[in-house]
Amino acid sequence: MSHSERRLVILGVAASDSHAVANHLIAHALRGLGFEVENLGTCTPVEEFAQACEQYPDAEAVIIGSLNGHVHEDLRDLPAAREAGRITCPVIVGGNLSVGSKKDPRDLERLKALGVDRILQDPAQLLPALDELRASRTADRQRLPVAS
Amino acid sequence: MTKISYLPGHSGSPGTDALPPLAESVDYIASLGKPTAARVLMDARDAGRVAIQPRCGVGGHEEMKALLRELENQAAPDILTLTIDSHTRLKRFEQALRSLNRAPADLNGYPLVSHGYLRGREVNESVTAPLEIRHGSPDARILFDVAVASGITSFEGGGISYNLPYSKAVPLAESLAAWNAVDAVCGELAGLGLIVDRELFGTLTAVLVPPSISLAISVLEAVLAARAGVRCISVSYPQSGHLVQDVAALRAIPVLARTYLPPEVDVHAVLHEFMGVFPKKRGNAEDLIFYGALVARLGGASKLITKTYQEAFGIPDTRANVEGLRLADRANSPLLDFVKADEERVADELSWIVDEVADIVEPVLAAPDTMTAVVDAFAAGRLDIPFSASRYAKSEIIPKRDAEGAIRYLSTGSLPFGDRTRRHNSDLLKGADSTGGPVIGSLLTGLTDDINYFPALFREIRKETQEEDAE
Repeated sequence: MSHSERRLVILGVAASDSHAVANHLIAHALRGLGFEVENLGTCTPVEEFAQACEQYPDAEAVIIGSLNGHVHEDLRDLPAAREAGRITCPVIVGGNLSVGSKKDPRDLERLKALGVDRILQDPAQLLPALDELRASRTADRQRLPVAS
Repeated sequence: MTKISYLPGHSGSPGTDALPPLAESVDYIASLGKPTAARVLMDARDAGRVAIQPRCGVGGHEEMKALLRELENQAAPDILTLTIDSHTRLKRFEQALRSLNRAPADLNGYPLVSHGYLRGREVNESVTAPLEIRHGSPDARILFDVAVASGITSFEGGGISYNLPYSKAVPLAESLAAWNAVDAVCGELAGLGLIVDRELFGTLTAVLVPPSISLAISVLEAVLAARAGVRCISVSYPQSGHLVQDVAALRAIPVLARTYLPPEVDVHAVLHEFMGVFPKKRGNAEDLIFYGALVARLGGASKLITKTYQEAFGIPDTRANVEGLRLADRANSPLLDFVKADEERVADELSWIVDEVADIVEPVLAAPDTMTAVVDAFAAGRLDIPFSASRYAKSEIIPKRDAEGAIRYLSTGSLPFGDRTRRHNSDLLKGADSTGGPVIGSLLTGLTDDINYFPALFREIRKETQEEDAE
């Protein structure tokens, strides 16, 4: 596989969340699709996602699962990590994203404000989302003026 | 309740320096006038009945004694439990002590180290059944020393089984070394005439654990424990829910013991009643509890750890715990001799399980240093568990229920299985209502159905993969 075909993602579950099953299944499925998956597992704080981004600068996305409804609190440090340039690739969040069975659209806006690029309600949306984000990044790069 | 502001034996940091010498604790246990857990297990096996044990633990000292006395008076279990709180499991003794002084009801178990061994002895003396410590500590050395000083004769855990399901980042070499130290003290105690029952936690993450994984991990922990001097080992196995598979797995335990352990080690099969998602309705939950107890009986288990009709809702109250124990003990009735498993199918399943375990453990046991080999094998995925909480297992293996509900390998990951085993597993899964390939969505919904197996079986919930117009 040539370097340009290598697809690496960083995966983990939000800091206060210990749900391991979906995390392992998504890692398994992505590997089956040919991705390299750096799986940070359950209870991963933003700091560990940032460290993984520094270790794997060619990661195409950070994928954060959250099933316990605490994702807003768990991603409190994301804006700072974004600002400091420690997480530059797209951030995808998916799972059960707020406490309670009725979902408020404002919750999703709050996530976007924290620096989340994509919010997924269904794991089946993950691969299309990764493909779209990759295509738009490639297009952005091609539009960039050549550095002088 | 009186406040305590010390840790046992210290004015400063936690340790065990003020605990009595082992010989004194052995004399104390002999003076208690109650059997050891090892003796209770042996007697149950000889009598052809399954010993019954609850899970139970609360933070406060008086509350703990009252809970145990109530369970004993109402249900007379053969062995009682001291479930330890999460702070103590992680050696956060100061936090446990703070919670104990401020709000003991906030603790999710009894902080034995913070209470100290003199209180441990008071708890022990408050009931006639022997006690077991159940917890989840990757390093239980201090807890174990306080337990022995408290006169407690059964202690659950192991260097693999109390690490991978409970901790995210504790290296296996550390937990294996810590548990080796616990097992070595058991060896010393055996020399002084006290046999400590060491139960291994084959239940692991409790989510769709294939029997050969549970048993392989227990075989490795048992081999290490026996070498360190342990003389009584309980191998616990989590009920999968499939009768033939569960009976075969329990009956495989003495077979594996004969193959891999020295004859002087007494090995007991223990069933943990279903540890996954429980049905919510009381009648359905009680069906499952009784079914589990029958499985333990048919599988020849020495002991059963019970569940309650409140399992779906959290930690049970005393009433529910009593009812769960009484119901499970009904399966010991002599009237139930007519209940039989299909012996031919059990024998076939047993031989597959024993072969799978051999494939997994034998390369590890062939290496010169078993502990190092265990660490290396987990790093390479040659040893593995599904859905690990720890980074030190790869969790490349994916379990799946077959059409009958037995747990098989959808993916065997890097386990050193031969072609025959792989083919057998994929053949068995052909009839399962899996939608095929590793597509993220169908994999997740299929596994969700497998996890919700019993609520779906009792039609409390609909299967996700079920067609809308199925009924």
